[in-house]
Amino acid sequence: MKTRISRTVIFTCLAILSAFLIGACGGSDGGNGGVQVTDVWARVTAPSQDAGAVYMTINSDQADKLIKASVPTSVAGKTELHETVDTSGNQNSTMDGTEPMMGMRPVSSIAIPAGKTVTLEPGGYHVMLFDLTGPIAEGDTIPVTLEFENAGEIKVDATARTQ
Amino acid sequence: MEKPLPIGQGALPLRRILLLSWTLAAILAGGVLNGCGNGDSGDALRGMTRNPPSDVGGISLPDQSRKGGIQTTALRPSGDDLLLVYFGYTSCPDVCPTTLADIRQALEGLTPGQRNRVKVGMVTVDPHRDTGRDLDEYLGHFFPAGDFLAFRTGDQQLLHKAEAAFGASHRIGKPDHEGNYDVDHTAQVYAVGADGKVEVEWPFGTSGDDIAYDLKALLDRAVGSGSPEPEKTQQTEKSVNQ
Repeated sequence: MKTRISRTVIFTCLAILSAFLIGACGGSDGGNGGVQVTDVWARVTAPSQDAGAVYMTINSDQADKLIKASVPTSVAGKTELHETVDTSGNQNSTMDGTEPMMGMRPVSSIAIPAGKTVTLEPGGYHVMLFDLTGPIAEGDTIPVTLEFENAGEIKVDATARTQ
Repeated sequence: MEKPLPIGQGALPLRRILLLSWTLAAILAGGVLNGCGNGDSGDALRGMTRNPPSDVGGISLPDQSRKGGIQTTALRPSGDDLLLVYFGYTSCPDVCPTTLADIRQALEGLTPGQRNRVKVGMVTVDPHRDTGRDLDEYLGHFFPAGDFLAFRTGDQQLLHKAEAAFGASHRIGKPDHEGNYDVDHTAQVYAVGADGKVEVEWPFGTSGDDIAYDLKALLDRAVGSGSPEPEKTQQTEKSVNQ
């Protein structure tokens, strides 16, 4: 009787422990504190276009910040986190019939709120590639190293496509 | 020169904000901008129309897209066709290629007959860095059929006059120690009709499908209306290259 109880207790403990381990693994899919980066793509460049952009989708189960992105210097001389913004200085520029002026500004970080999806996409955030060493062609793969405040470094590959 | 900006959480991308504000503008600004086509046609367009429409019929710029000489060409189409005009620059990594890809997608949505009646003209707002050849190669990437016009002038006054006629503008930032500078610019695409009037303009972020929808409506409307031939002079501009 005593032995049987002990076995039951041990099995129960093992079961709970296994469930916990499996659960923990499931929750941190992709590692790095729950940050997941998907659909990483670079836009194919036109001839004479010496600057490029990389876009992606990021989500995290805990709040984090993308603080840096880099590509090998064999691809681009300099990499920065950028945002395309209305620089007309008039938040309601469209209300009076004038047209919004669009420009890009570097940003120090991109916030990734817990449980939210943040998309780097045309007209918004992007990883700006300066001084491209050559054209980016359809299907090219560019290794991108992302640095998150909490999750640390994550390496991804951007695939080149037109849009 | 550039200062990092703090980032708000979950900020909406600019193209969505712009589309939203243009929609609001269309509703609120009544007399200036109409989301629907004006009374002449009764056709509802998905882009923006101005009342009265911008008159760009008097604007000509050097087209550097052709081999064997620069031609000063009017920014208006021939016959009943349409000329789509965009002000941008070739080292633009985000906004310009997005818009040109949207235009290309729109053109792919037309029938071959409709497609033959639409030309794209891009005006560089950064003639200091963009040579005529740069612009020609750049546009050739998006429109391999070669049916485009590559407008470039080194004459700032002429460029500003052209921009003003469309309601466009740009601003060149201060160069950094490496000589790099930002270019801010309006990013509308304008559809110019045969009478030199801007029939509709699409803000940044308008989908290729919406542009195609408007192009079809405008081309249908133009059929049989008769229009003058565009002005075209065969002179070579001497002062375009710095």
